[in-house]
Amino acid sequence: MRADAERDSGSQDVAPPGYPPDFGAGERERGALLSLSTLRGITPRKLHALAWRVGSAIGCVAAIRSGSAGSPADRDRIGAVEPAAVLAQLNACGGRILGPHDPGYPSAFADLLHDPPAWLYVRGGQLPDQPDRVAVVGARRCSALGREIAHDIGRRLGGIGIHVVSGGAFGIDAAAHRGALAGGGVTIGVLGSGVDVLYPRSSADLLLQIAGRGALISEYPPGQRAEPHHFPARNRLVVALSRAVVVVEGAGRSGSRISVDHALDLGRDVFAVPGPVTSPLSETPHEIIRDGATLIRGADDLLADLGYEQARADDAVAPAGLTDTELRVWRALATTSLSDGVARAAHVAIPEAVTILISLELRGLVRGVGGRYERTFAGVSGGIEA
Amino acid sequence: MYGRVTGVTVLGVGGHLVTVEAFVGRGLPALTFTGLPGAAVNDARDRIRPAVENSGLEWPLRRVVVNLAPGNLRKEGAGMDLPIAVSVLGATAQVPARALTGVAFSGELSLKGELLPTPGILSVAISAARAGIGTVVVPYANAMEAAQVDGLTVVAAGTLTEVAGFLKGTWEPPPVERLRPPATPATALDLAEMRGQHQARRALEVAAAGGHNLLMVGAPGAGKTMLARRLPTILPELSRDEALEVTQIHSVAGLLRGEGLLRQRPFRAPHHSVSIAGLLGGGAAVLRPGEVSLADHGVLFLDEFNEFRRDALEGLRQPLEDGRVVLTRAVGSVEFPARFTLVAAANPCPCGYDGDTRRRCMCRPDRIQSYRAKLSGPLLDRIDLRLRIPRLTKEELLGSQPGEASAVVGARVREARERQRARLARLGVTCNAHLPGPLARREARLDALAERLLERAVESMALSGRGFDRGLKVARTVADLEGAETVSETHLAEALSYRIGFGEQEGLERAG
Repeated sequence: MRADAERDSGSQDVAPPGYPPDFGAGERERGALLSLSTLRGITPRKLHALAWRVGSAIGCVAAIRSGSAGSPADRDRIGAVEPAAVLAQLNACGGRILGPHDPGYPSAFADLLHDPPAWLYVRGGQLPDQPDRVAVVGARRCSALGREIAHDIGRRLGGIGIHVVSGGAFGIDAAAHRGALAGGGVTIGVLGSGVDVLYPRSSADLLLQIAGRGALISEYPPGQRAEPHHFPARNRLVVALSRAVVVVEGAGRSGSRISVDHALDLGRDVFAVPGPVTSPLSETPHEIIRDGATLIRGADDLLADLGYEQARADDAVAPAGLTDTELRVWRALATTSLSDGVARAAHVAIPEAVTILISLELRGLVRGVGGRYERTFAGVSGGIEA
Repeated sequence: MYGRVTGVTVLGVGGHLVTVEAFVGRGLPALTFTGLPGAAVNDARDRIRPAVENSGLEWPLRRVVVNLAPGNLRKEGAGMDLPIAVSVLGATAQVPARALTGVAFSGELSLKGELLPTPGILSVAISAARAGIGTVVVPYANAMEAAQVDGLTVVAAGTLTEVAGFLKGTWEPPPVERLRPPATPATALDLAEMRGQHQARRALEVAAAGGHNLLMVGAPGAGKTMLARRLPTILPELSRDEALEVTQIHSVAGLLRGEGLLRQRPFRAPHHSVSIAGLLGGGAAVLRPGEVSLADHGVLFLDEFNEFRRDALEGLRQPLEDGRVVLTRAVGSVEFPARFTLVAAANPCPCGYDGDTRRRCMCRPDRIQSYRAKLSGPLLDRIDLRLRIPRLTKEELLGSQPGEASAVVGARVREARERQRARLARLGVTCNAHLPGPLARREARLDALAERLLERAVESMALSGRGFDRGLKVARTVADLEGAETVSETHLAEALSYRIGFGEQEGLERAG
């Protein structure tokens, strides 16, 4: 399912957008979709073209079986696969499959002109059509700060009823999902594995919560494990589903960069949260900001730019309710991060500085990381939550 | 034709007196041992005759039976060579029998009749003195050890000829006072050499003052090893009893280099590939002390902590709890003292750069998780102080205040230890780290502000039950360093700052 690999090679592609009428409709067509979803050699783009050539999913199966389409491995596979078995596995996890004309199949996928998914596995609730959806993506291996920002953005979006879309992975993805759930919102996880495969394992709880409050969706059949080449294809669905894409942290040549390319192809708005210029995790955000993405400092900017909320007057440089000494320590953290350095900059004794740092940490304004102290996003943005 | 002398066999660190009887009678020339000789003693069978003959003495061309009593105790160690040889000399009247009473002998012989450096001589001397024996004859190389024991005349001999001469009254042993120990290089290490790392230096001081074990997590090159090596320099000096125990263990392990008494606290840093026997003690024929015992009254530094074998780390629990290891083998069970301060160091992730400000960590999240999972477990519960060691930038290094010297810090540590000793004597412990967990709350004596901070910490930091006790013990030590009766908010805050926010990694609980 490589969507990307042939981006430039499909010049003779003349297939219209969407799928032929009746493609995937009815019991037998559904069975054909289940069979087709297990193939590994045929890309969404080729399948889309084939669908228009033969007009139905059953036709696609026949073409692959006869060898006029797909790889030899696909031919062997299509002969061996039992649609009923795939369906049983799907039912076991409470999932379902949608054809491109089924209710609930997101109409936004029509924007994927050449490679819209021909089927969609869904686990969880009904996807309401035409809601406002925003994708929050970024590094799996992110910083604590990045996680807080993604969480905050997810929470604020979720809180005003915007669905948060992400890839269900570690790091920024997980933080955005968690934030949306914490804000009482709906969130959609687009997986690179079958909807019954809860990967990464340690995120299993989160993924189940996403299925409970929103949905897990995937192009891959039940039981299929996530593989690295799935993720670029998965990213195209994340982007296609959303009206805007927010990038929080990403190192060079990251998956986020691929998502941004998709977003530009599909005409989606791109937002990026900047970071320190010295941090490798700022590479992607800074690069795309230079390429024209909109810089946002957090959820407030995003909501204002998307037209959901008025921008908040930006006067909160320090959290309210700090004593003078606490304020000095807080300000010192702008330029230093070691406890003795803070003490020197704030003109207090080291034990006193440590006491204040711990007290600020207990209030969620400061965080200890790697033997250093830094301000939390909650502290900087003024909003403190549990 | 009968001779009888006293030897000493060393099991573990303890010496046990052995009566060595020799009988020379009719029969083909042979030497037979009875009385449970161990492997090393049996090994002496062919060594003793050449040693005697090469010393200008005569080996009886008759049947020689040597009995080692008591018969229920296995005799180990090459130190039995000398008493066996002397017993034969006594039986053949080459030395006067009355010269043999009130003297204990120990030492390994070479084929030429030289007395070789022998492990465990300090233990020999201690047990001889305890049994009321006035004189020990030991190898010259080990004389300084034996001389540490009060009320004992030490005869330092270089050869079997000299021993025979001493017994006949024809050779005068050199007075041991004149034996110069080889100059030990004074430790050049000092805490003042540590630039920056204020928090870590302070944590070392707290560890030294309260006897707390310490875990340091940080990138390679952050200074973990440098810090650990300086912990012994701020620990109080060894008391005489402690020094004797330390010397005894090193003597048994054959690690003394002619020193009399070891006065520096040991620092042992075994590599993470160390075997269980190497770490905890053991061995096939002779049970040797392991690294935990060699670190007795000193510091055991385990770098790359989570690379150590799991079963070896599990084995550390007994010594950490009881201050000793008990090794049980077919030959019997032996106990070694092992009361050390554990300093563990680990990288934050397999590549070492997670959380670093300047270098990017290349590890996959699941690898980091499994790497850190190895850090958890019951052993970690016995480590009160945990901290991240940041890699400092050049500016931070240059901008830091010069650190205090070991002597200055050591003085505060000594006073804090005194205060604890006085306060905790009624509980049977000597330092805050050894306080039983349930008593930590009462013994810490928090003032009102500290109580409030503690409540807030419990609410917001997910402080576990054990983490709670550890925090209180450390806070108590911080207060003791200041000479304060009660634990204040500042003391507790400092204690709370010594923990690792492993919550930095998603899905992981704080390890603090």
